[in-house]
Amino acid sequence: MPTRSPARLVVALAVAAVLAVFLVYTAIAGGSTPTLTPSQLQAHSGKLAIVGIVVGPVRGDSHGANGLRFTLKDPTGASASRVRVVYRGTAPPPLFAVGRSVVVSGTYAAGRLAGNDIVTKCPSKYTTASPKA
Amino acid sequence: MADLGRAALVVSLGLAVYAAVAGTVAARDNRRRLAVSARNALFCCFGSTAVASAVLATALVRHDFSFVYVAEHTNRALPTSYSLSAFWGGQEGSLLLWLLVLTGYGALAVGLNRKVLRELTAWVVPVLGGTAAFFAFVLVAVSSPFDTQTAPFDGAGLTHSLRNPYMVAHPPMLYLGYVGLSVPFAFAAGALLSGRTDERWIVATRRWTLAAWAFLGFGQLLGAHWAYTEVGWGGYYAWDPVENAALMPWLAATAFLHSVMIQERKGMLKVWNMVLVALAFELSVFGTFLTRSGVVNSIHSFAKSPIGGWFLAFVVISSLFSLTLIMWRLPLLKARTKLESALSREATFLYNNLLLVALCLTVLWGVLFPIVTQVVKGETRTIGRPYYDFFLRVFGLPLLLLMGIGPLIAWRKTSARALVRTLAWPIAASVACGAALVAAGAGSSRPGLIAYTFCAFVLATILVELVRGTRAAGSLFTLVSRNRRRYGGYVVHAAIVLLALGIAGSSAYSHTVERPLRLGQSMTVAGYTLTNEGVHHTVSPSVTRTFVDLRVSGRFNGTVKPAQAEYAIPPEPAQEVSIKTDWSRAQDLYVIADELHQKTGLVYVKVLVKPLVNLIWIAGFVFLLGSAVALWPDAREQRRLVTRLAPARA
Repeated sequence: MPTRSPARLVVALAVAAVLAVFLVYTAIAGGSTPTLTPSQLQAHSGKLAIVGIVVGPVRGDSHGANGLRFTLKDPTGASASRVRVVYRGTAPPPLFAVGRSVVVSGTYAAGRLAGNDIVTKCPSKYTTASPKA
Repeated sequence: MADLGRAALVVSLGLAVYAAVAGTVAARDNRRRLAVSARNALFCCFGSTAVASAVLATALVRHDFSFVYVAEHTNRALPTSYSLSAFWGGQEGSLLLWLLVLTGYGALAVGLNRKVLRELTAWVVPVLGGTAAFFAFVLVAVSSPFDTQTAPFDGAGLTHSLRNPYMVAHPPMLYLGYVGLSVPFAFAAGALLSGRTDERWIVATRRWTLAAWAFLGFGQLLGAHWAYTEVGWGGYYAWDPVENAALMPWLAATAFLHSVMIQERKGMLKVWNMVLVALAFELSVFGTFLTRSGVVNSIHSFAKSPIGGWFLAFVVISSLFSLTLIMWRLPLLKARTKLESALSREATFLYNNLLLVALCLTVLWGVLFPIVTQVVKGETRTIGRPYYDFFLRVFGLPLLLLMGIGPLIAWRKTSARALVRTLAWPIAASVACGAALVAAGAGSSRPGLIAYTFCAFVLATILVELVRGTRAAGSLFTLVSRNRRRYGGYVVHAAIVLLALGIAGSSAYSHTVERPLRLGQSMTVAGYTLTNEGVHHTVSPSVTRTFVDLRVSGRFNGTVKPAQAEYAIPPEPAQEVSIKTDWSRAQDLYVIADELHQKTGLVYVKVLVKPLVNLIWIAGFVFLLGSAVALWPDAREQRRLVTRLAPARA
């Protein structure tokens, strides 16, 4: 005779509910990083990531005392906002270059980002045009 | 040529729409001749899509740059194999491949089941036709591979990191997986629409699901190996949204493959299975939306394109369609039996399902989080590796443990005492393994130690099962051939254990040192001493390469030559890492060099020692072997199913 198990449903829903609360709590309360474009930086400071296009000139090197210095502009080009970056650490990936779209993580203060991680877009599929070096 | 391709796609669209509309009318009114006509339209849709695909493949091989697509993704110097791989190297071509595989799979699945499951397949045809119509529409109206131009002398070429055998195989494998999930989804929808919600749709699609799942899993491992050897950051999985797009449907399909066994055997979890198969399908399309819409930031440079909105609309409509169908047919989806005990094989499979779905939803939450925070807080926030790693441990380690318990625990119910007795040998083996690992110093990482210990437990349960079974059957060959599905599953479990060992070893016990190295200077990492013997420069018409000679001594003797290259066409730099496998210690020495100064000999070197990382790639082949064993036709199983399903057929 067909029967259903309400206990099973209750257990499953309970697990799902606890999980959902836990996930939301973990994600909202901590561990997340604001990921902003240069035009969205007003009133922000502290740890964050900036998505932007590298603007030259690129000076220095990431292992040197003064770090690797460059500027980021908005990826869409819709805003004239710029942000200065001083990056120190592992050398940026080889695809890092002027005109490239990058995500730089670090600490933002006084209009400058002290970067400690750079991710360049991987030259993967579905690009609409050949990448510019 | 391009006109022929365009015309073939328009014909495909017309045939797919006809299959959807005529198929619906035929199934609803039980009009057999119209149903045959709709089915034939689906078969012909595959034929016309094959013609369109042949046109594009010919243009790629002939370097016909009057096709915009060919000019953007190839050049004259590109070898034929890579020119052909450009078929799926761009958006339009990959969508055409999707339509080709979808119509091919659909025609085959419907053709094979048209006689035994006539009423059900009558509804499968319009579901597959509707899905094919969507892709054909996108190819005809939004993103065509047959746009033409005045032919330039040469094309842009394929980016160098994609000129890799793994990248030739990785995308089509993923497509075979993504698209393969359409078949069980269409049969599930067909079962709901026709009211034939017994186990026959599961039996008819089990191999389709298994094949799609195997392609998706193996395809991801190929991509991971490409990232490890080609991209040059020392890892193989970055939890990027684009990578997660393939992982999520695979996790949902894994849960589905396990829970259908409970439905087949006990008539339980019918609603759950419908939800899972719909989830796997929707996630595969949602992944495509993610990769093409540009709504989330990804390290993969997927451009924003006009097809994102269309895919989102398709996901929303097909999700609503699935949910409505399930709600409508809820009365037909009642379980035949109930869960009798929390200590039973059924319950273990249920726990396994909850953990897999929880992991899948966790990944989905991580992918959607930037969009959610943008909507809710007006600011994009991302969550990175610590979030994913944490939940991989929280859900992955219990999953590993259940993988050992599930196959040995009794159906219906058992006692804790009986369970411990059954698992005595595996428990003893894992405790002994854990103690030995602590003595060997593996206690430096608690998650790593737990993972190793659980792996030992699962391997021991597989061995116990094989030894017991072989004794009873007389030989291992007889044992496996009598129940290929079960023992194929054990081989897949062994592959997952190898994967877990590889991931745990290469992440929890890896060593990384980075430092500048002047000419003649040495550095030592985990027993390997690397000495800078000079920076050199080579120039050829196609590439300029600067590399450092690093002599390795200590645990093994040899040379590594990590380099930085600058290619001419297309003009782009590349990181060329040097990887040496130390088989005696089962670990890789992974060396990256940057800022190479030829005059002074100064170089910045990053050295990673990654224990057991090669088990991940070996796991891929074991996974394929296990999937092949489980997929192999099994006459005994077929007879068992016929007997079991006989009342349902009556």
